[in-house]
Amino acid sequence: MPEDSEIIEQIVDRYDGDDGMLIPMMQDLQAESGYLPADQLRCLGRHLRLPLSRLYAVATFYSSFRLAPKGAHEVTLCMGTVCYLKGSASISEAITREFQVEPGGTTRDRLFSFQAVNCMGACAVAPVMTVDGKYYNGVSPASALEILYGLTKEHVTADKEEQT
Amino acid sequence: MPTVTIDGCEVKVKRDATILDAARKAGIWIPTLCYHPAVPSEATCRLCMVELDRGEWKQLVTACNYPVRRDIVVYVSSERAKKARRGVMELLLARAPESQELKALAERMGVKGTPYPNVTDSQRNCILCGLCVQVCEQIIGKAAISFAGRGAERTVAAPFRQPSEDCIGCGACAAICPVGTIKVRLHKEQQEVEISPFKSRVKLLVCQECGTPIVSSEVSEQVLRKSQIDWQEFRELLRLCPKCRRSQTSARLRAASVYK
Repeated sequence: MPEDSEIIEQIVDRYDGDDGMLIPMMQDLQAESGYLPADQLRCLGRHLRLPLSRLYAVATFYSSFRLAPKGAHEVTLCMGTVCYLKGSASISEAITREFQVEPGGTTRDRLFSFQAVNCMGACAVAPVMTVDGKYYNGVSPASALEILYGLTKEHVTADKEEQT
Repeated sequence: MPTVTIDGCEVKVKRDATILDAARKAGIWIPTLCYHPAVPSEATCRLCMVELDRGEWKQLVTACNYPVRRDIVVYVSSERAKKARRGVMELLLARAPESQELKALAERMGVKGTPYPNVTDSQRNCILCGLCVQVCEQIIGKAAISFAGRGAERTVAAPFRQPSEDCIGCGACAAICPVGTIKVRLHKEQQEVEISPFKSRVKLLVCQECGTPIVSSEVSEQVLRKSQIDWQEFRELLRLCPKCRRSQTSARLRAASVYK
């Protein structure tokens, strides 16, 4: 992949090849493709003469790095104190059960990435879930699943439109 | 030379020696797990805690990496030090409940069991001391494994949790693992060595005479590079297992009638 190595060369040059700037380089790399593909990490490691294990350690240490591609939609569920007391744990369980996705993961069909966060500052209308930045108030396991199934349809129709 | 007084026993050590060095010189036992002379002490296991007398107050410090710079007074068998070490041991037992090495050490320390629930992580039986990571990077120079994740999810893993491309199958990580969790497995049919639990597999060289597996070719190459012995005869000898090498050498010596 010549394109890949070109991108990586650019990124490495941006920081004068200084391996102390590994984290900014990985951030730039993630900005290019939305995640850190294994091959690109391998290539970056070769350029910097760093072992792949070092890059993997950094990528898994910081939660802002992702090693798998993001889903088409971004779903966040608040697990803060108030939302938790209002039953967000059972919403999370329902999502995990229905879509086979753990918090922090992405569904197998890459429909959405599911993230549990600690507080979204909307405790008055707990429990809160956001989909692509849109807030949904007072959700229940049933209504949360309904919203997410709505996503499925949207996604499928969008795909069909693209094909035709 | 500063003097270290350990439980009333005075011992002189070089400046910047550790409390552990002093205790060993004095013949006083301090339990250790993550200490290994081959690599710098990172004091990750916390098992070697002792009480340091600061005059007005006393402080718990790790003996394996506390440098002695002046005369100090240390207590290894004070109640507080013993309690601290036992507490650490109980936590470690919950992390690595199946380790025989750890059980034996716990018994020697008088720890009967652990009140904590066992850790059921992906990497059970690992105390996260980091010796394997250190030895692979600093001594072998490969860095095939590293810590991955953080907090409760921290584990030792090869990149992407896949068999490592950098592993040469030397088994140094298994040799240094203080709780016996990393193991070298031989797969005789495939003539491969596997480093468990990392699933890294490397082809083994086999003896040209008897077919016994010896070491991986990468290990052989690395040893040759490090020892800087590179004459043809030596390379040929390396193709034999130690047993065949001995018998061939003795046969040659007999033929040369050295011992007649």
